[in-house]
Amino acid sequence: MKKKIIVGLSLYAFFFALVGVYIIVSIEKAASKFDNLIKLHQVEILREHLLLNIRGVQSDLTLRDTPYARSISHIVSNAIQMDKLSGRCFQCHHSEEVLSRLNRMRGKMERYKHALSRVITYNANPGRLQSEKDTAFRAGKDLIEDVNTMIALTSRKLTEHTQAALGRIAATKNLLFLLLASGPLLSAGLAYIYIRSMTEPVDILLDATRKLKAGDLDHRVPGLADEFGELGNSINDMAGSLKEQMVKMRRTEQMVVAGELAAGLAHEIKNPLAGIKVAMDVLSREEALSKEDRDVMAKVTDEIKRLEVLMKNFLNFAKPPKPRFAKVNVNDIIRGTMDFYSLGGASLPGKPEGIDISKDLDARIPERVADPLQLQQVLLNLFLNAVEAMPGGGVLAVRTEYDAFSDCVRIEISDSGKGIDEGIMGNIFQPFFTTKPKGTGLGLAICRQLIEQQGGSIKAENNPAGGTVFRIDLPAIRVPGAEEA
Amino acid sequence: MVRFVLAILMSAAVAVGCTKASDPSPPNMPPQGKPLLIGLVPEQNIFHQLERYEPLAEYLGRKIGVRIELQVLPFYGNLIDNFESLGLDGAFFGSFSYALAHAKLGLEVLARPEDSTGESTYHGVILVRRDSGIRTVRDMKGKRLAFVARATAAGYLFPLIYLHGNGVSRPETYFREVYFTGTHEDMVWDVLNGKTDVGSCKNTVMDRLASADPRVAREILVLDRSSPFPENGLALKKGIEASLKEKIKTTLISMEEDPEGRKVLERFGARRFIETTDSDYEIVLMYARRINLDLSTYKYSNK
Repeated sequence: MKKKIIVGLSLYAFFFALVGVYIIVSIEKAASKFDNLIKLHQVEILREHLLLNIRGVQSDLTLRDTPYARSISHIVSNAIQMDKLSGRCFQCHHSEEVLSRLNRMRGKMERYKHALSRVITYNANPGRLQSEKDTAFRAGKDLIEDVNTMIALTSRKLTEHTQAALGRIAATKNLLFLLLASGPLLSAGLAYIYIRSMTEPVDILLDATRKLKAGDLDHRVPGLADEFGELGNSINDMAGSLKEQMVKMRRTEQMVVAGELAAGLAHEIKNPLAGIKVAMDVLSREEALSKEDRDVMAKVTDEIKRLEVLMKNFLNFAKPPKPRFAKVNVNDIIRGTMDFYSLGGASLPGKPEGIDISKDLDARIPERVADPLQLQQVLLNLFLNAVEAMPGGGVLAVRTEYDAFSDCVRIEISDSGKGIDEGIMGNIFQPFFTTKPKGTGLGLAICRQLIEQQGGSIKAENNPAGGTVFRIDLPAIRVPGAEEA
Repeated sequence: MVRFVLAILMSAAVAVGCTKASDPSPPNMPPQGKPLLIGLVPEQNIFHQLERYEPLAEYLGRKIGVRIELQVLPFYGNLIDNFESLGLDGAFFGSFSYALAHAKLGLEVLARPEDSTGESTYHGVILVRRDSGIRTVRDMKGKRLAFVARATAAGYLFPLIYLHGNGVSRPETYFREVYFTGTHEDMVWDVLNGKTDVGSCKNTVMDRLASADPRVAREILVLDRSSPFPENGLALKKGIEASLKEKIKTTLISMEEDPEGRKVLERFGARRFIETTDSDYEIVLMYARRINLDLSTYKYSNK
């Protein structure tokens, strides 16, 4: 915007400078044209003067040898004056054509003067004298015709130049009026453009802030230019950040609610369940029980245990234990977890048949500060999910790498199962969301919770080749008092 | 409005005049006061004659502190007839006209020009067209004869002696027509253009025209030439102060030493002015005696 204003003002100043220069040049040109016209008028007057002078000499010549003849010195003086006048014609600048005409005229004048001289100095019989006089008279007549032609030429040129000059001056005047009128128009136009270019983005930004205020955090400011664009991007970032915070807040609220609920349930359900479990245990020892009753009681006991696990998970999710940070090697934790899983932990389902385990662990990854038990819990959960996703067998791949640019250790756990529907991909980390018939919907929610407690993030996506990949990024974090694992 | 401005500007410009024409006068203003009036004989076209002498008169006037005005006269003889009535103070006389003026008016010659070859004299030349077939006086019988003027040595005195010497004492009867061209230049043109069959003029004038028009040398034949006559010199009347006369003479003679004077001399067609005395005109007097002319009673009118 700043650039636009500077460019606009520069153009504005340039326009007025241009107009100023044009006005000065126009005045100069008009003055020059007037000067030319004046010179042409002078030439016309000079030539008319010359014509009068030549006519005077012709008159002197005609009156010679009559009672009205003028003195020789008068004739000579007139002829000299005529010569001087013609000489003045050469003092002004002329085109080649005019100069050629003037030279022709000068030649004729020389012949006329010579003829005059002969008339004046000759002394012969009347026939000869008359012949000389006739020659001089013809030379004078010829000269007069020449000068007349030049006067006519000058007059015509003068008329043409006057009309052309007046025409040009009128055109210049019109153009000047146009330029003068275009000044305010240009100002108004520029003002309109600038006001529009400022109010439009402001309106868009105001609209965006109103929508954000109304809770539409998905609204984004459309592409604006210049500083307004930067402001729009900031507002968009702010809206994104607000939405993220809001989601977190909601989740926190959910956690609080879930925690309170879990505490309540634990308090209200745990003790009765323990009583029921003990009672069922006592009852099941009765020898008199039939096999059918004993099976029913065993099922009840199993359900009670399931309820206990559910309650434990629920409590674990609602009130997660505080992480105990220590410097860990992620590869070691993965290996430990895999070994534990391969050997078949006490509460873990056995390794199903047909599952191949692939490990690609980057030995160069740096140590991270994390809670090793919680990290192991997350990994185990993901391994179990992967195995469950491949009921007919497949490949469980684990890979680690280090991204030096973001200083993150990345863990990728992928399966070759059928993958997750894209429609529910966004919900899989939501608490109580499950696709399993007996799932609690807390496994992945707890995983994310635990990873985020380590300062990391977890994401899931489908592999183009099939199956799902979970990515855990563990950045370097500093926790006071973190110890070696 | 535009027309109004135009009219004002034009009126102003007409009043002021052309830029070049209104240039300030040169710093060397001509001297004021009573001018010296100097006459010129029509040696050539009278306008050319004036153009030739004007720079010299302007220079001389500035140097001596007296304005000089020139007056060209239509006939050689007028100069002597009207010397006093015209109020002339002096004149550039031809050799014969000076001899006459000296005899009649007592004028005193001061100086005459010397050309670039060192010549301060001219010759009279008898002219015919090469294709006229005229080679002797006998061939001239019944033809047309032109003199310049009765008061010229080259244009009258010499051809008269030439004819006398060839047995023609009365040209007006020997020739079909006799007339006067008035100027040496016109004599050359008349012979060249066939307006006369025989003529006579100054060789210096003919040479000057020949350098400008090659036809002159190509088509005109010189049958005879006279002894040298002194070139046209400046002579002043008796009443002029001796100091002024001396000043004029000194200025003329020393102008070749002045760079500006040399330029004027160059335009005039001379290298310098040399002192001239009456003795230089002895040849004219000798020619006059040969045909028994009494200069004091000689009728020099072209009638």
